Amino acid sequence: MSALVRFVDAGLEGLDIILDRFHRRQGVIGALLLSPSLIILGVFAFFPLLYAIYISLFDTRRGIYNGAGNYLRAFNEPEFWRSVKVTFYYAIGTVPLSLAISFTIAWLLFRIVFARSFFRTLYFLPYVTSAVASATVWRALLRPQSGLINLLLINIGIEPQKWLIEPRGVLNILTDGMIPPAIGPSLALCCIIAFDIWHASGFMIVVFLAGLSSIPKQLEEGARLDGASTWQVIRHVSLPLLSPTIFFLLIVSAIKSFQSFNSFYALVSAPGDDTQNLIVYIYAQFYQNQRIGYGAAVAVLMCAAIVLLTIVQWRFVGRKVHYE
Amino acid sequence: MRPRIGTYALLIAGSLVSVFPFVWMLTTSLKTSREASAPEIDLLPQTLQWANYTNALYAAPFGVYFYNTLIVAFTVMTSVVITSLLAGYAFARLEFRGRNVMFAFLLATMMVPFEVTLIPNFLLVRDLGWYNTYAALIVPWCASAFSIFLVRQSFLALPNDFFEAARVDGCGHLRFLTWIAAPLVKPSLVTIALFSFLGSYNSLIWPIVVTSSEDMRLIQYGLTIFGSETGVQTNLLMCASTIVILPTVALYFLTQRTFLDSALNAGIKG
Amino acid sequence: MVRVSLACAAVLALVVSCTPRDVPAQDSATPSSSTAKTFKPIDPTSAVCWDRNTLETAKLLDSIATEYNATQPPVPIKLEYLGNYGDIFRKVSLSIQARELPATAVGYEPMTSEYIVAGAALPLDDYIADPSAGLKADELADFYPSVLETNKFPQFENRMYSFPFCKSVLMMYYNKRVLREAGFDAPPQTWDEFLAQCRAIKSKTGKQAYAINVDCSTIEGFIYSMGGEVVNGSVSTFDQPNVLAAFKLFDTLVKEGLAYQAPPGTYDDREAFAHDRTAFFFRPSSHRPDAAALMAATPDDWGMTRIPQSDPNNPRTALYGPNICVFRTTDAHQKAAWGFIKHFTSPKVSVRWAIATGYLPIRKSAANDPDMQAFWEKWPQDRAAFDCLAFGKSQPNVVGWQQVRTLVERALTAVISGLKTPEQATADLKKEADKALAAG
Repeated sequence: MSALVRFVDAGLEGLDIILDRFHRRQGVIGALLLSPSLIILGVFAFFPLLYAIYISLFDTRRGIYNGAGNYLRAFNEPEFWRSVKVTFYYAIGTVPLSLAISFTIAWLLFRIVFARSFFRTLYFLPYVTSAVASATVWRALLRPQSGLINLLLINIGIEPQKWLIEPRGVLNILTDGMIPPAIGPSLALCCIIAFDIWHASGFMIVVFLAGLSSIPKQLEEGARLDGASTWQVIRHVSLPLLSPTIFFLLIVSAIKSFQSFNSFYALVSAPGDDTQNLIVYIYAQFYQNQRIGYGAAVAVLMCAAIVLLTIVQWRFVGRKVHYE
Repeated sequence: MRPRIGTYALLIAGSLVSVFPFVWMLTTSLKTSREASAPEIDLLPQTLQWANYTNALYAAPFGVYFYNTLIVAFTVMTSVVITSLLAGYAFARLEFRGRNVMFAFLLATMMVPFEVTLIPNFLLVRDLGWYNTYAALIVPWCASAFSIFLVRQSFLALPNDFFEAARVDGCGHLRFLTWIAAPLVKPSLVTIALFSFLGSYNSLIWPIVVTSSEDMRLIQYGLTIFGSETGVQTNLLMCASTIVILPTVALYFLTQRTFLDSALNAGIKG
Repeated sequence: MVRVSLACAAVLALVVSCTPRDVPAQDSATPSSSTAKTFKPIDPTSAVCWDRNTLETAKLLDSIATEYNATQPPVPIKLEYLGNYGDIFRKVSLSIQARELPATAVGYEPMTSEYIVAGAALPLDDYIADPSAGLKADELADFYPSVLETNKFPQFENRMYSFPFCKSVLMMYYNKRVLREAGFDAPPQTWDEFLAQCRAIKSKTGKQAYAINVDCSTIEGFIYSMGGEVVNGSVSTFDQPNVLAAFKLFDTLVKEGLAYQAPPGTYDDREAFAHDRTAFFFRPSSHRPDAAALMAATPDDWGMTRIPQSDPNNPRTALYGPNICVFRTTDAHQKAAWGFIKHFTSPKVSVRWAIATGYLPIRKSAANDPDMQAFWEKWPQDRAAFDCLAFGKSQPNVVGWQQVRTLVERALTAVISGLKTPEQATADLKKEADKALAAG
């Protein structure tokens, strides 16, 4: 083992000598360190984006240049706007809640000593349990006939619901029809949101735990000795020190929420107007309707929206992040 | 503050929710097909159908799929850790022109939907002659904006003077990065290793698109064979899913035991 | 900053200039004027066939291919299995752009029309007419016309761009135990009887009679059996009174609590039925083996029969199942692919396939085959389904129908959930479907 370590070390030293020639020009060193990532991502992720922008200018079915035609078409398409609405409801529903829930669980998990790996593994399971298995169970729990949740509702005297096949808005249901059914997210969409919070928690808890274990213990202990309450410790020590992690999760989960696809298909199979987000819509254009140019245009619009959202988050939330 | 009974009570209650589908998967794998299709959720089968497991395993060359998947997933994992460590360090700790532009470029790659990348990537992989090879399954996933971002955040969270002290000692970038900085962000590195491994392990569409022969297929493809046009053999599918998932759960359990316990605090002295 | 934008501009210029081949998707071609192209075979030494069978049926298909390869085709057939039809469609679409295709692939009518638009599908008429390699008039007449008809694409000079592969028809599955509980000893023959039985089941047993699987082909089957049509040329006919009648039937069933919607993508309808929760479900005859497995304990307590009709003397139902199409690659690959199709649909093989899979033999002569008769002795339900081939009607094979399918399913969902009346739903559907079909 130590021979290997020495070997690696010697190699690194050699490379370092080369790097040190540029010690006055960090740009060169930066470029060298970044090059493997930038080349791969440039070729396999960024180039496709350019490609999408390019083909979005064509009517691909007829093979003719279409200018902004696909974009104009999207703006005039009610189905596009409905998908935009669904996407936003979904992002607003999943991101803050899953962050809050996952942080709470991670914080509790970080406290415990006895059986901690065991509990951590339990909370990781939603992320690895096969999509088919978890979707099947969720669908069975939410079954309109003989589903466990409806049986519970009936027991406590509440009317059973159609859950995943209910296209009416939750507000409509809660207000007993006072609010029209088309306003607000549908009950089906809310079920998908709940599923995704559950699924994403497995992922977020892991990242939170990694963040928590990077916080020097002395800081929290010091605050405790000064007589701070648990809440004060969280508020003034843990959260600020975790802010780089929280910021990371906020940005990443916002992007992911725009791209959520599997949960929609796994839970509702044939997404209706009320459960079709932009990605599902793009997918339908690509592989059901074969309108690749139009689908690419919608994808570009979606990317633009995510970019805007990320910039806003970066400007307004990024400032509050506490780096050492 | 010592953890109290309340903490455990909360955690146990919450874990019921997170574990339930997993338990259902296990018990369903031991049911008959009629039991597996019952409209109610009955957890326990009448008699345990252990033969399901042999039936499921012999249904496809799972050994081959598994072997391929491990090769692909481990290579991707190692590459992602290395590329992300280098890039995350550069973004967090080096000052150079265009750094922010490049970081924005990096974030932009996260925003492109998979379906959009499929067409150009497929064409490229074919042109490179990688169709039906490991290269097609591995190379496009060897860097990840997500991972670079996480490593960058972890480096930013470390105290500044710490880096300067090491640089003053005359330690080169790579040696410093490998022997001193990397261990400090070990929790993040373990996290990205885990997620990049799982990413390859769970990939389905891309491998189907870029491979043609049975001996190049990955494990998730193996799970699709239990579905036909007219139904799914739920019990067998759950057997196969269980076998596929268990290694990842074990891996996670082990990382929790060996890597994350008290990883860091020894390193930082204020 | 200036340098960065210059670099970006350069990259963009490069992308735009150097990829003439990638020039959008399927260059050229409006529905009426598809231009033929040739593609490189994905495997020069064998005729690759993309299919989605798994497990035993895949093994059987492999052995049929081996048999065929023993007849020394120009290149041997090689089967490659991909997850499902969606995966096949995606991979063919991608391969069309890479200019490299398998020899043949299975798929539904809307998939084939897209391949035609892209100039990739090969019309089979010349192969069929070929005096030695083709089919003779009496052989062709042995196929049920309905089964062949759906492979002739009216928007493309009525040429035969695919060939029947696995066929089944929409059937009504009935649970005899539940029917007996409600006092019936035979399934309904007409839609009026069906509604009456549903009402009796509800009042006598308290059970809902039917879990609705919202699927476009099923709805088409209901419409056909009520004497309606869904399309005329390239215009939809969802404004017909018979279409409205079908939607009204669903509306009545749900409003009176006689039926409920099974979540899409599940088999809840079949499973509720197998556990005596409902009396009926409507699925293609290919579900018979799965239904039989679920009902294993009670083989005689259920049946599968022709769906109810408005006019039992003039019955109609929906025809299901994928076809297989050949791509424009090399002469040798095309010949091998056609030869394999011909072999696969030959009377003996077709019977063997039907017995093993539960699909229907697509040749009339199968009725006289002793193996088939022995099998029907055991599974009389399958005989009933076979008899429906004579009047089965497939989904329309016009460009844009895939989009219409989604619209139809959403329209029915809106009716079932009470968001729209049947009148509103069909009126909106007519408008949206025509728009989708006109866009092509």
